[in-house]
Amino acid sequence: MGYGAGLSGLTSETEQGPPPWPGTHHVCRAGCPEGPHSAVPAVSQQRHLCPSARGDVHQLLPALPAGGAQLQPSVCPHLRHPPPPDEALPGSGVRVKKLCELQPGEKCCVVGTLFKAMPLQPSILREVSEEHNLLPQPPRNKYIHPDDELVLEDELQRIRLEGTIDVSRLVTGTVLAVLGSVRDDGKFLVEDHCFAGLAPQAPAPPLDMDRFVLLVSGLGLGGGGGESLLGTQLLVDVVTGQLGDEGEQCSAAHVSRVILAGNLLSHSTQSRDSINKAKYLTKKTQAASVEAVKMLDEILLQLSASVPVDVMPGEFDPTNYTLPQQPLHPCMFPLATAYSTLQLVTNPYQATIDGVRFLGTAGQNVSDIFRYSSMEDHLEILEWTLRVRHISPTAPDTLGCYPFYKSDPFIFLECPHVYFCGNTPSFGSKIIQGPEDQTVLLVAVPDFSATQTACLVNLRSLACQPISFSGFGAEDDVLGGLGLGP
Amino acid sequence: MADQLYLENIDEFVTDQNKIVTYKWLSYTLGVHVNQAKQMLYDYVERKRKENSGAQLHVTYLVSGSLVQNGHVCHKVAVVREDKLEAVKSKLAVTASVHVYSIQKAMLKDSGPLFNTDYDILKSNLQNCSKFSAIQCAAAVPRASETSSSEKFEQSNLQVSSETQATSELTANGHGPPTSKQIPHQPKGIMGMFASKAASKSQDTNKETKTEAKEVTNASSASSKAPGKGTVMSNFFGKAAMNKLKVNLDSEQEVKEEKVVEQPLLSVTEPKLAAPAGLKKSSKKAEPVKMQQKEKKKGKRVEFSDDETKETVNMKKKRRRLKLPESDSSEDEVTEKVYESESCTDSEEELKMKTSSTHRPPAVTVKKEPKEERKGPKKGTAALGKANRQVSITGFFQRK
Repeated sequence: MGYGAGLSGLTSETEQGPPPWPGTHHVCRAGCPEGPHSAVPAVSQQRHLCPSARGDVHQLLPALPAGGAQLQPSVCPHLRHPPPPDEALPGSGVRVKKLCELQPGEKCCVVGTLFKAMPLQPSILREVSEEHNLLPQPPRNKYIHPDDELVLEDELQRIRLEGTIDVSRLVTGTVLAVLGSVRDDGKFLVEDHCFAGLAPQAPAPPLDMDRFVLLVSGLGLGGGGGESLLGTQLLVDVVTGQLGDEGEQCSAAHVSRVILAGNLLSHSTQSRDSINKAKYLTKKTQAASVEAVKMLDEILLQLSASVPVDVMPGEFDPTNYTLPQQPLHPCMFPLATAYSTLQLVTNPYQATIDGVRFLGTAGQNVSDIFRYSSMEDHLEILEWTLRVRHISPTAPDTLGCYPFYKSDPFIFLECPHVYFCGNTPSFGSKIIQGPEDQTVLLVAVPDFSATQTACLVNLRSLACQPISFSGFGAEDDVLGGLGLGP
Repeated sequence: MADQLYLENIDEFVTDQNKIVTYKWLSYTLGVHVNQAKQMLYDYVERKRKENSGAQLHVTYLVSGSLVQNGHVCHKVAVVREDKLEAVKSKLAVTASVHVYSIQKAMLKDSGPLFNTDYDILKSNLQNCSKFSAIQCAAAVPRASETSSSEKFEQSNLQVSSETQATSELTANGHGPPTSKQIPHQPKGIMGMFASKAASKSQDTNKETKTEAKEVTNASSASSKAPGKGTVMSNFFGKAAMNKLKVNLDSEQEVKEEKVVEQPLLSVTEPKLAAPAGLKKSSKKAEPVKMQQKEKKKGKRVEFSDDETKETVNMKKKRRRLKLPESDSSEDEVTEKVYESESCTDSEEELKMKTSSTHRPPAVTVKKEPKEERKGPKKGTAALGKANRQVSITGFFQRK
């Protein structure tokens, strides 16, 4: 076959033999910056820069159509009945009013924060209350109920909402504007409503070649699933350029960043029962997360040696519970932190990669909205949060969140180009357009431990492609594992 | 002939040792580029099938491709058994790549053992995990830890000085320092030992990607960055040599290796000498080792220097107390080896570590031999010469 250059190549000092093995050169990783990462500081660091608090709706008034006196149908896509042209003229027609200024029967527009009163919502006060003597509620999939009611609150007052508004879909914490009038019984009859809409977006600089970002979430280490371990190893091997032939390896070299979006450890590493046990029983036992973190360290070492990695914590990871979650501590990764390509970042995380703005969470915001809303698709919820211009409206009501009182860092000041959330049950991706030429790629990154699927985002074309890994099992269900079964 | 060597080794791994030979395992074991390892496996399968010698071979493949699912194009990467390969390929709309993933004697029920094999070999090579991969990242430079051990510090100091030396030597030789993006040139040549040694050192430094200068490198063959550039021969020999090193002196193998021993000795010891540059005795080692290499000595001596360097590489904190014989080996190499093991003040664990820590895993049976031999005299029941027994007893007491 002639792959040997022969011994002659060795005896001569100056001559160099031809490469006998094709494809054994090295491809350089695309997009490695000369210096440190050019990542925009994470949302958590920006909270002191945010100009206004969540309860204060005035910040959103500029986002509402100019003049605030009318609702322009172009800005509010939910507006089903745009006001007739004469009403849209400034100075006449619909005005934006505060709740205290409302007159019965007068058509006006009110901006406020929504509160949804849900009887099924778990309430610690109700549980602890002795007079009710209730047993704690079992955790449900969704807490919505036909008896839910919407209440609109502004700085001073609150008012019940009724009418053409989808109660089950909305959640507490949404800031919206409602068009309608107050009835005599004190409830506000809603004719239409609209949200703040997409934030302004700075256009991304065009790229000349394909660059990819790999989004993975839910590695779920320590969960005991052998199948997913092989999948994880295959993922690492593809990214580090070991698997695949030369063409594949060349493509893999164009992956310029890997973002691990949370839940690196499995739910079972949390071992909550040891908290309740007596100390003498748990003294000698090691937490399940210790082994899992060691495994994670090795995986991160392999990845960081080959590609810049951003690690976001998730719901089951050893960091604080409330949003924004702080980065995992580098002392947990003694092997991997030797590489400067490893970046431990917060959740939610915001970064600019090759000029493309990424913003994403590990999925706690979306799954919390899922529990309290009738929306079923995680991608749909993701889009909804973008349109409401708030990453996590339900925080801090039902989702643990740091009590920001001056400014709310979860408001979108600027629209990202790629908006993702991790740990969804299945892959989803969509490109949406905004009224001001905003283009956003929404990615629902699936849980890797369950789906063995990761997402490859092409920065040049803003397209997203799922990539799945599988081994083979005893039941010969290779095709099924790949999703190719009959 | 070169082909024969690696083919035989794969043969040995698969049939004799009944190992699962994955491409990654082969790559680390032989110290070759992953693509090279894959091709080696493929060649082996082809030849074996052609020969039809009746030996059962089960092969697993890695298939990757894309297909349209749920409205978008999905990329799939899967490890499949040979019998399912065609079925999977037919389902994919575009087959991007297919290559051999592993070869084993027995039919695998599931892919668990593949993962275990890969994981084990990776664990023992964590520090240079992307050494043989196809992608190098310029930004992935391991930081020197602030609380480095004294040896590491020494090493880095010495490495710095040797770096400057090396670069000057390199320019004298007319080789430009390779950039990280290009395929680095590995100067060959058995003769110019200094030049080669300096070159390999400078390679280590000039490669920004894996500056293992800061870390103690595992003893690996000199094929670090450019296996594709004709160093395949040295790799083969390097690999072959290292395989044979631990084999205690199969005389037949020695005869076979006779011709090639010179070359692998060079390539094998180069990085090892480069790596523990900071350690105390290595400079002393260099001289006798070189002399030994020039004479066509058996693999044992190199083995010891390798062992020693490997041992010290692996046991950074311990001071080396091994005294290796500088004299020529005697006829009875077994006994001499035992003698040496006894005279050292290191404990049995260290010796065991020596054998087990070398990551060119020789045959399991072979590995046991030195262990047993080392155990033997300690227990005092080895079937060795009387002199050795006496020595062993005194050694036993001396150790305490």
